[in-house]
Amino acid sequence: MDCLNEQFSQIYDQYIDKIYRFVYLKVDSQETAEDITSKVFIRGWEAFKKDPSGIKNQGAFLYQVARNAVVDHYRDKGRAKTVSVDASGEIADPGTNAQDMAILSADVEVVKKSIQHLKKEHQDIIIWHYLEDMPIGQIAQLIGKPEGTIRVMLHRGLKDLKSIIQES
Amino acid sequence: MEKISQKQLIEQIKQLKEIKPRREWAVLLKSQILSEEKQVAGVTAKSVGIGIMDAISLVFAQRKLAYAFTVVLFLIVGVFGFARYTVPGDLLFPIKKITEQSQAALTGQSGVQQDIVALSNRINDLAQVAKDGRTNSIPLAISEINANVSQLTKNLKDNPVSDQNTMKEISNSLKTLADVTGTDLSENQDIIDLYQTVVQSQIADLHKTTLSEDKIAILDEAKELYFLGRYFEALEKILLINQ
Repeated sequence: MDCLNEQFSQIYDQYIDKIYRFVYLKVDSQETAEDITSKVFIRGWEAFKKDPSGIKNQGAFLYQVARNAVVDHYRDKGRAKTVSVDASGEIADPGTNAQDMAILSADVEVVKKSIQHLKKEHQDIIIWHYLEDMPIGQIAQLIGKPEGTIRVMLHRGLKDLKSIIQES
Repeated sequence: MEKISQKQLIEQIKQLKEIKPRREWAVLLKSQILSEEKQVAGVTAKSVGIGIMDAISLVFAQRKLAYAFTVVLFLIVGVFGFARYTVPGDLLFPIKKITEQSQAALTGQSGVQQDIVALSNRINDLAQVAKDGRTNSIPLAISEINANVSQLTKNLKDNPVSDQNTMKEISNSLKTLADVTGTDLSENQDIIDLYQTVVQSQIADLHKTTLSEDKIAILDEAKELYFLGRYFEALEKILLINQ
């Protein structure tokens, strides 16, 4: 068990920032992000201790759990996330991390807010590719789509994001 | 916002890498997830330790310091637990006395009550020492009793007690002391003084109350015994009146 603890401890250290960031950019509330990230790692740990060798790609697994947890969060709140660009700020939680506000410049803050108005899949791909430096091939595996499709989605996502920013 | 190029947009997206969770939250979550598993594993004693560790490490921030503090805590608890079974002459006996005094103070007992409880404890110590055949410790145990008796006598003189239950407790302690195997304290001046104080206090108290003719006769006998210096018998008479 101590060996499993040690292994999961390393996985935790490797992914805690990434998963938190991934979740936070979707909910825009420190408290909610911490709550959802906690659930992700608890579920991750439960799955890991049941079958440590069954999870081939821990990162992909945790991201998948995080995606589902965010969906559950919005479903629980009765705010099923609208994938339309017009969905505006209603999607995001009202709270904002004051610490992040201080760190991020005003322009980047606009980008952050605008990402939340993208389609869910576009959000995921942009975050993974540009923030987590995940190669296109890995993203394709992660969401089970061809690499070409991912490139197109990434391009459309950026285009949509640019439009949202310029409208804001 | 003015028009931005795709390259600028990507640069701004990359700046979102600055978003990070609170360190203390991340550390606590990790600790909770991993320690919770140890509890589920059923290692009860260990899990209690881990739980305490988590609480302490929250205070101390550094795990090594928290471990050191926990070890000291367990040592202190162990020492106080072990001290309960010591007798005069043992290394940890002073700790036992301190613990008893602290407990008495916390329960709000009066000075006389504290002395009675302490005397009872010291008599038990003497009985234990005599039972175990630890002849070297007997003088120390008697010395502890003398000190307690002396303190109790002084307190009774300063604060006369009218409560009959208290007097009965003292009387019982004195009887137990007389019964302790292998110890003869009938010539002990501190104990004689205690008997005298108790009897004197009781006679003075009985003079203030209205008694039947039978009880007045018993009181007269008690006074006679008192003047003859037979305090133990005088006390027994007084207890008859109070029944």
